[in-house]
Amino acid sequence: MKNQFKSLWFIAILGAFQWAAFAQGPPITADKPIMLGGGSFTAKTLIEHRKTDGGTFRYSPLMLHYVIHSNALVALHIPRISFDLASGVSGQSLADVKLLGKYQFLRIDGTGKTFRMVAKTLQTLPTGAELGVMELSAGLYQGYYGLVAGYESLRYGISMELGLNHIPQGDLDFLQHKLGFGLPLLKPQYPNRQINLFFEYNSQWLWSQKGYQLLYAQGIQYARKNITFDLAYQLPLVNDMPEGMQFKRSLFLGSRFTF
Amino acid sequence: MISLFMSFLLMSTVAFAQKPMDAFEVQVDGLGCPFCAYGLEKKFKEFKGIKEVKIDIETGDFSFAYPAEKALSLAAVVSQVEKAGYSPMKTVITRANGLVETDAPLEVKDVALAAVQTKDLFVAGNCEMCEARILKATSRLEGITEAAWDSKTKMLHISFDSKQQSENSISQAIALAGHDTKLHKAQASTYETLPMCCKYERLKN
Repeated sequence: MKNQFKSLWFIAILGAFQWAAFAQGPPITADKPIMLGGGSFTAKTLIEHRKTDGGTFRYSPLMLHYVIHSNALVALHIPRISFDLASGVSGQSLADVKLLGKYQFLRIDGTGKTFRMVAKTLQTLPTGAELGVMELSAGLYQGYYGLVAGYESLRYGISMELGLNHIPQGDLDFLQHKLGFGLPLLKPQYPNRQINLFFEYNSQWLWSQKGYQLLYAQGIQYARKNITFDLAYQLPLVNDMPEGMQFKRSLFLGSRFTF
Repeated sequence: MISLFMSFLLMSTVAFAQKPMDAFEVQVDGLGCPFCAYGLEKKFKEFKGIKEVKIDIETGDFSFAYPAEKALSLAAVVSQVEKAGYSPMKTVITRANGLVETDAPLEVKDVALAAVQTKDLFVAGNCEMCEARILKATSRLEGITEAAWDSKTKMLHISFDSKQQSENSISQAIALAGHDTKLHKAQASTYETLPMCCKYERLKN
């Protein structure tokens, strides 16, 4: 079964590179290093409907990003979560509030292309219910520190992220690696009207729990001048996580508006 | 009645007469996607009165018109592109009165008859990105024939037409780009926008 998943992953990557592509918008489940002009705001949401062997969760964040200047961004994420646990308990509450900071330290520009790297930190505050769901609601303070790199050209976009999530009160520290490919289906034009495909991989290694998972998200995005609508479906390719934390699938539905 | 009609006609003509506009063309690098172009346009919308914004994302050609009475400077345009997070490569302004301003390097044929002078100037900086920024700032000036900066000695070896540039004007252009020189210091706000690796030790007064 694991080998089948690995084959699927390989085929998906190959497929991604074989698309005749032009340009793309921001990734859906991965992160990006490009910040759109100093002094701008982006309001976002990315509703996730996640199913694990521990229950079903609907995560609804309201995110406000502010680009301070061309090299720095801060953001506040206020999420709500509704849950239906396998134990029979269900309910809804505020999930863990997150504070995000990004600083761009490398930028190499060319005509119709750019390569950028940013340092990123995501501080998760223990405001949510103790549901033990990774990245959604653990009810514990968490600090994530990572690097995001991205190459964007008029033909395709690649984004990559490597980071460490540290939880002082717990044994759920994990190392995370994200890799995303963005490919548009329409010719580049401005004012933009795009339909983009995304192929995004997220691998997480919980060394203290001896757990590992590799998730694949297939996404599609409709983008206009300063607004996007995102849809993605995520499933596990490798799933060696402890019982109660095994990921089954996620459906993402989101939108973002820059002003 | 006729005079009232004539007055109305005159007022309408004045109100609807087109203001003289300066035309701006900027070659911008780093526009890797249409969203990048949106970021650029949004930043320039801060210039109230901007019109006819056009961006060709495949070539990076960005053009717009702006009321001539506001005398928008070339340095302000370049700085605004940088604030948007992109790299301005070449800027040409055609003023409403026909004058053309550009930061494109002077062609060799124009320099042949010029009085070329060579100087070594101290310019603070750290890395290759600093080098690129310093050289770009000098390349925008007219009359520069040669420029090289050494990150170890911090010395800029520069040749220029002394009829068009001076040590002072070159130092000023470099300081505007964010690098301290002996004659001019960069503004703190510009220095703050430099990437981490470029944050050199500021020169004391």
